Amino acid sequence: MSNSNPNNGGLEALHRLKSTEPPLFLAPSPDLSQAARLASKYVFSLLQPHCPKSPFDNLLVDEFDAEQIWQRIDIQSQPLVSNLRRELNKFEKNPELVSKGFDRFKDEKKTQEREIEEQYDEMDGYYDDDGDKMDGLDDEEEMDGLDEGEDDDDDEEEEEEEEEEKGRIAGIEDRFLKVKELEEFLEDGEARGYGLQKKKGNRKVDKKKKSEGSDEEDEEEGEDDEDDAEDEDEDEDEELGDLGFSDDDDEGLDKLGNARLMLWTRLVRGDKAKIVVDCCYFGIIMIEEKGFKSKSKPIKESEDSDFGNDEGSGSMHEEILSTHEREHMRHQSDIEQMEKVNLEPKTWTMQGEVTAAKRPKNSALEVDLDFEHNIRPAPVITEEVTATLEEIIQKRILEGRFDDVQKPATLPSKAPREYKEMDENKSKKGLAEVYEEEYVQKTDPASAPLTFSDEQKEASMLFKTLCLKLDALSHFHFAPKPVIEDMSIQANVPALALEEIAPVAISDAAILAPEEIFAGKGDIKEEAELTQEERKRRRANKKRKFKAETAKRIANKAQTTIWAKLRIIVKSTAYMSSINKKNPLTTEAAASLLPPDNMPAKTPITAAVPQLTVPGNLVLP
Amino acid sequence: MFRRNQRLRREYLYRKSLEGKERLLYEKKRKIREAFQEGKPIPTELRNEEAALRREIDLEDEHTAVPRTTIDDEYATASEKDPKILITTSRNPSAPLTQFVKELKFVFPNAQRMNRGGQVISEIIETCRAHDFTDVVLVHEHRGVPDGLVISHLPFGPTAYFSLLNVVTRHDIKDKKTVGTMPEAYPHLIFENFSTKIGERTSTILKHLFPVPKPDTRRIVTFANQSDYISFRHHIYEKHGGPKSIELKEIGPRFELYLFKVKLGTVDQNEAQIEWVSRPYMNTSKKRKVLGD
Repeated sequence: MSNSNPNNGGLEALHRLKSTEPPLFLAPSPDLSQAARLASKYVFSLLQPHCPKSPFDNLLVDEFDAEQIWQRIDIQSQPLVSNLRRELNKFEKNPELVSKGFDRFKDEKKTQEREIEEQYDEMDGYYDDDGDKMDGLDDEEEMDGLDEGEDDDDDEEEEEEEEEEKGRIAGIEDRFLKVKELEEFLEDGEARGYGLQKKKGNRKVDKKKKSEGSDEEDEEEGEDDEDDAEDEDEDEDEELGDLGFSDDDDEGLDKLGNARLMLWTRLVRGDKAKIVVDCCYFGIIMIEEKGFKSKSKPIKESEDSDFGNDEGSGSMHEEILSTHEREHMRHQSDIEQMEKVNLEPKTWTMQGEVTAAKRPKNSALEVDLDFEHNIRPAPVITEEVTATLEEIIQKRILEGRFDDVQKPATLPSKAPREYKEMDENKSKKGLAEVYEEEYVQKTDPASAPLTFSDEQKEASMLFKTLCLKLDALSHFHFAPKPVIEDMSIQANVPALALEEIAPVAISDAAILAPEEIFAGKGDIKEEAELTQEERKRRRANKKRKFKAETAKRIANKAQTTIWAKLRIIVKSTAYMSSINKKNPLTTEAAASLLPPDNMPAKTPITAAVPQLTVPGNLVLP
Repeated sequence: MFRRNQRLRREYLYRKSLEGKERLLYEKKRKIREAFQEGKPIPTELRNEEAALRREIDLEDEHTAVPRTTIDDEYATASEKDPKILITTSRNPSAPLTQFVKELKFVFPNAQRMNRGGQVISEIIETCRAHDFTDVVLVHEHRGVPDGLVISHLPFGPTAYFSLLNVVTRHDIKDKKTVGTMPEAYPHLIFENFSTKIGERTSTILKHLFPVPKPDTRRIVTFANQSDYISFRHHIYEKHGGPKSIELKEIGPRFELYLFKVKLGTVDQNEAQIEWVSRPYMNTSKKRKVLGD
């Protein structure tokens, strides 16, 4: 089938998309959608011949969902990319093929593809303006949709490609960043040197923009690559800058004549993103490199268009800048960049005191916060530490040196309490007597009877009598001490009686009752008062008493005479035994046998008579 | 009870206020003594009072010569009575913290443990004063690990705030047989490397948690200071064989204490004067050793 009509339709669609204002893309319109579908179909068909295993002949866009269309594109691009990789490896091994390939295509396709590239560039420019299509992308780095209508699809596709490129870049790096080859190329390209100065400057600017702006891994990797590359071949940059690929991103590739060189240099430099190239398939190149468009698009576009016009002329139309000017330009771009950064608000880490509300969520976890700790860190308890501690303890135990609480030296705070021993016996004095004594003490203390204990009283009495006797003996004119009248308390008077009003100097006789004065047992009555019978009775009592007495006396006498006789016997026996030496009996022993001298008279005679053996040859006097 | 407390507090404050004057007097006497010893003329500002002061100097003995400080005055009568300690926790303690507190109850002789429940600190302190407790110990935690210790001496005594580090409890050692039971005899105390004034103060605070021990106990509690971190260890020793052999067996929990504040009031007195507080954000705090050498 002829593709011309659909191609034209596709081209027209592309044109139309290009001409629409960017904000219009935000609102869903069937018109734009239709245009987008046509355009994607067109591009798909362009690519389709180059894809060996393409399952679809053309992209059916009419009734399908965006998601489904994208899936198809994806299916096509997967084998396509691997194919390209293979081709690339082939070219790597045989560089001559590249030139052949370029020559072949130079004339045929250049117009067509240049157009396409331009359009793509422009559209990418639109996409740049539209800003983020995907979440997670930084502003400065866009994944631009290849397919205008299906933004997300293409973005994802390009992301994929980008990732593959990343992988490829690493591989490329290893093979291509060889100093020798680079040096060779440097020598080769010296001639072109000055024409490329300007371009190089721009590229560096772009690179720097990219490096400053983004956090994406690709770019960082790319930075590393670029830095390496830059370090190694600055001269090369000059040369390469000319080719119209001022931007790291797809750069024009518009120059067909330079495309081959461009590719080659890119290969050599290990430039990321650009190198995915099948020299024949500029469209593909463009697709793959689309992902790395930067904001410098407008500049690029102009340059690209310039370059597009000057096919084959290479970079020679650039002005020749001196070293100083180049430096100057570089500094200017740096300054611009820094000023731009300074005008923006700072990141939260640089903002001084930041509360949780002012920084994004969980951002403190990602940042490596560093504090200076002025405290000494806690000790880690190792075996050695424990061993040293135990040593110290053991030493202290052996010395017996502990830091215990000391009991304080007990100063007597008050005098020791006097413990009065309670006498538990009942007091001999009654309470009334106690009160009496107190009264006496109060009124007449001199005459108060002194309270002595019984023993004391007895002792004092004895002493008094002794003193009296001694005084009587010792003093010539002894005058006994006058008796001091002391108030003596008569106990046997009923209280009522005392309360009678009686004169003070009253004799005992009046106070005491006669029975109390004289409690007599004997003969109370006098003889004059006696009656006859009483007289007789008295006499009879007397006689009876007398008789009893005399009888007792006689008995006593008898006893004493027996005792006297016994005494004599004992004495004589003692004498005898002293002479008779066989059985000596001392006088004390003999005396002990005798009853004691003050033996009472009434001891019966029969008792306590010692048994004496009287020797036979004794002659009693 | 309330009035008694007020009166005691007033007396304490009065004595503290006298401290300044006493110190002045002491300084003057010291100057005069020095002047006499060195044979120098008496400083002119003391000329008028010289005679009176000299008489006082003659009458001094070793007790009165040293000016009395009210710091440590709280412990003047503490050694006469055995200490009585109450141990509680912060609110809603976890199970490991309650276990640790139970262990601490056995470490300090004559200590009692109380559930915290929802009591306010001031209530706790009031009841303890009423029941004649001498010290209150509060233990704080972080997710099961004990991390804070507050020791407050009760009749308006000083409060010491410690952080606990590297805590190893008896419950961590799962095998009950190796750990054995804890004896409850009054222990001997060892304080190692408390040489500065604050070190002495800390050691008196810790010392008066324990009663007077018998001289022949075999239980030892050690507080060893190393660069401001106090290691607490609890051992039993046995003397086998010869005179020089001592076998130590560690029982009881083991932790490091780090003192960060000493206040001159009880825990519930927020506005009490701070005797000493650690300054970790000072530039020279790494070089300073506060408790020992």
